[in-house]
Amino acid sequence: MSTALAFADAVHAHAADLAAPANEVKGGEKVAFWILAPIALGGAIGMVLARNAIHSALFLVCTMLSLGVFYVINAGPFLGMVQIIVYTGAIMILFLFVLMLVGRDSSDSIVEQLRGQRLAAALLGIGLAAMVATGVARAFDDTRVVGLGRATQDGNVPALAARLFTRYVFAFEVTSALLITAALGAMVLAFVERSKKDQMTQRQRSRERVSADSYPAPKPGPGVYATSDSVATPALLPDGTTTDKSVSKVVQTHELDAATTKAKG
Amino acid sequence: MLNTVTLAADIKAPSMNYEALAPMLIVFGAGCASVLVEAFAPRAARHIVQTVLTLVALIAGFVALLFVDRDGLKTAADAIAIDTTGLFLQGTILVLGLVSVLLIAERSLTPGGEFVAHAAVAPGSTDDKKLTASVYSQTEVFPLTLFAIAGMMLFVTANDLLVMFVALEVFSLPLYLLCGLARRRRLLSQEAALKYFLLGAFASAFFLYGVALMYGYAGAVDFASIHNAVQADRGDETLLLMGLAMLIIGLLFKAGLAPFHSWTPDVYQGAPTPVTAFMSACTKIAAFGGILRLLYVGFGELKDDWRPLLIGVAILTMLVGSILAVTQQDLKRLLAYSSIANAGFLLTGALAMNKEGVSSTLFYLVAYGFTTLGAFAVVMLVRDADGEATHLKRWAGLGRRSPIIAAVMTFFMLAFAGIPLTSGFTSKFAVFSAALAGDAVSPVIVGVIASMILAFPYLRLVVLMYVTEPGESGADVHVPGAFTSAALTLGVVATLLLGVAPQPLLDLAEQASQFVR
Repeated sequence: MSTALAFADAVHAHAADLAAPANEVKGGEKVAFWILAPIALGGAIGMVLARNAIHSALFLVCTMLSLGVFYVINAGPFLGMVQIIVYTGAIMILFLFVLMLVGRDSSDSIVEQLRGQRLAAALLGIGLAAMVATGVARAFDDTRVVGLGRATQDGNVPALAARLFTRYVFAFEVTSALLITAALGAMVLAFVERSKKDQMTQRQRSRERVSADSYPAPKPGPGVYATSDSVATPALLPDGTTTDKSVSKVVQTHELDAATTKAKG
Repeated sequence: MLNTVTLAADIKAPSMNYEALAPMLIVFGAGCASVLVEAFAPRAARHIVQTVLTLVALIAGFVALLFVDRDGLKTAADAIAIDTTGLFLQGTILVLGLVSVLLIAERSLTPGGEFVAHAAVAPGSTDDKKLTASVYSQTEVFPLTLFAIAGMMLFVTANDLLVMFVALEVFSLPLYLLCGLARRRRLLSQEAALKYFLLGAFASAFFLYGVALMYGYAGAVDFASIHNAVQADRGDETLLLMGLAMLIIGLLFKAGLAPFHSWTPDVYQGAPTPVTAFMSACTKIAAFGGILRLLYVGFGELKDDWRPLLIGVAILTMLVGSILAVTQQDLKRLLAYSSIANAGFLLTGALAMNKEGVSSTLFYLVAYGFTTLGAFAVVMLVRDADGEATHLKRWAGLGRRSPIIAAVMTFFMLAFAGIPLTSGFTSKFAVFSAALAGDAVSPVIVGVIASMILAFPYLRLVVLMYVTEPGESGADVHVPGAFTSAALTLGVVATLLLGVAPQPLLDLAEQASQFVR
């Protein structure tokens, strides 16, 4: 309890410092900004451009850490800590776990479906970013920072808590519906339910292997002909018929029709 | 130093008007109960339990809605505005949501219904083929639908951009999931879900950035403060206009208005048909409810800035929707482009900036919702061994094999085309006359032209059903089960009644066009 109070006091003192006319960005803050801003921005761009999903996630971690520091130096220590602990610490690490478990193939196609789409998208994107950036920069050019001291009179965290449980209480509670939906969605899309009935015991498995309609030996390979050597082409038996065993069940069997047997090239 | 710290006791909890919030809370609560059913009920019983629970919850929500005070009030620390427009929209969402749930619960057309038995099994695998024939389906669609409906109800009554954003996410996330759960053509369905999710997240980001800029402008995110700040001409206009543009982009996406409509055809085609029906009716209501509230309550003072732009959007949307509808060969895509064009008609009404503008938009939403639900219900009935036969060619000669279903579809097509004695005529007439009264002439002229262009694809389907010889590839018409029959009947009756005797609903919409700020 006492540490919490001390923390709140420290926050309060800090907030009071910054509540003074703070239009000028002071030395330390300025240095931190100019070091971290390129890192945050570079991380964001890197995240979008990286081919490997793991690299993308790590770039995002860089951006989030820099943002966390920004929040702290902007008198939002709680938000900064939450950003670092929850977003970077918990969520991104979970994300990395999932990526590692699922596999990290980067097999997305880089074929352009629409001609010139990339170029157009890049130009328009840069244009929009430039427009928004100059707009925001000009709009905040002569803005004076006021009201921080009043808003965080009792310290940053209690002020945040008061907002959360009064003005935004409904939005805060409705977020639970969002979380339930997300959990439900993850279950629906990822959970494969296997009933006990479908699982065979060791004994059943070994009996199955040597039962009459089982074929324990290696299966024949697919057919290799002058016209086709696809895995989908069934092999010929000595009596001239084809055998289904030679084609994997997940592959659709190729009919040896005229189009397939035509000499290629 | 204790006196500098706010204790929990110092924070006064805001008062909640539970009576006014009851309809929403009932649906949210039913959604949570429905998740528990999913966890504890045995698999075989889940479908029937979920269906009953969902229908009862929606009816209970509607009954609770009838008892809400209609004077207009703000509750939950002014975050929610329960006014007559909000109540009308909530009621409409509940009723059309109920009809959509009837379609979602339908299982007699195909074993297991329209939803996949096991979404986690890879499409096309041997397990998947086995499961397609089973009688099971993912009953999680019911809680997802309930959460979507509750989110929409919150969205149309949100009095605060932050609540609006949370509500937008609450109703969008279940929709993204629902789109990917089709039983047939699963890859197409999953592609639709992913497309909708990515583009929807992108649009949400725009909306959120708009909220941030608006906070920078007004120092608050509730509509009353924004309105006051605009009136007092406080803050920097650049921020205001940029923020408003971003907010509008987010909403235009959800409503499927050009140039943010490109997701609509792919998603409508890939999603399970009951979900498509639900989206085309209820999402449209929610999106337009949000647009109306944002433009009339928050930014009414600024209408000279946004109105010319949105008139352009309405014109573009009507033209894009109607011209591209002509070229479609797939019925679901045709209906998707038709819904884009209809969004343009709706926006025309919303831009009138008068009382008739609001009431005609509300009327249009109800009329269009019933007709489009009915049309998608018919799409569910025409099928072959691979599921629904949505290619137009497969509908050739349907009038001879199944005169009743063909007649019903013809009726819906005539309503879409805006032929008199159908709801399509009255609703188009209402929005166009409101827009004329509000001096928005250009979208009305384009709207009439777009209606004429749109009549072509609708009537082509009618000709195809009655005149064209049935080809060899004609599809079967299944006998609708009790749920689909109910939905179809409601669609036909509402389309006819609102065409023949629209006055009661027009009066109700007239009374309902009252916002609180």
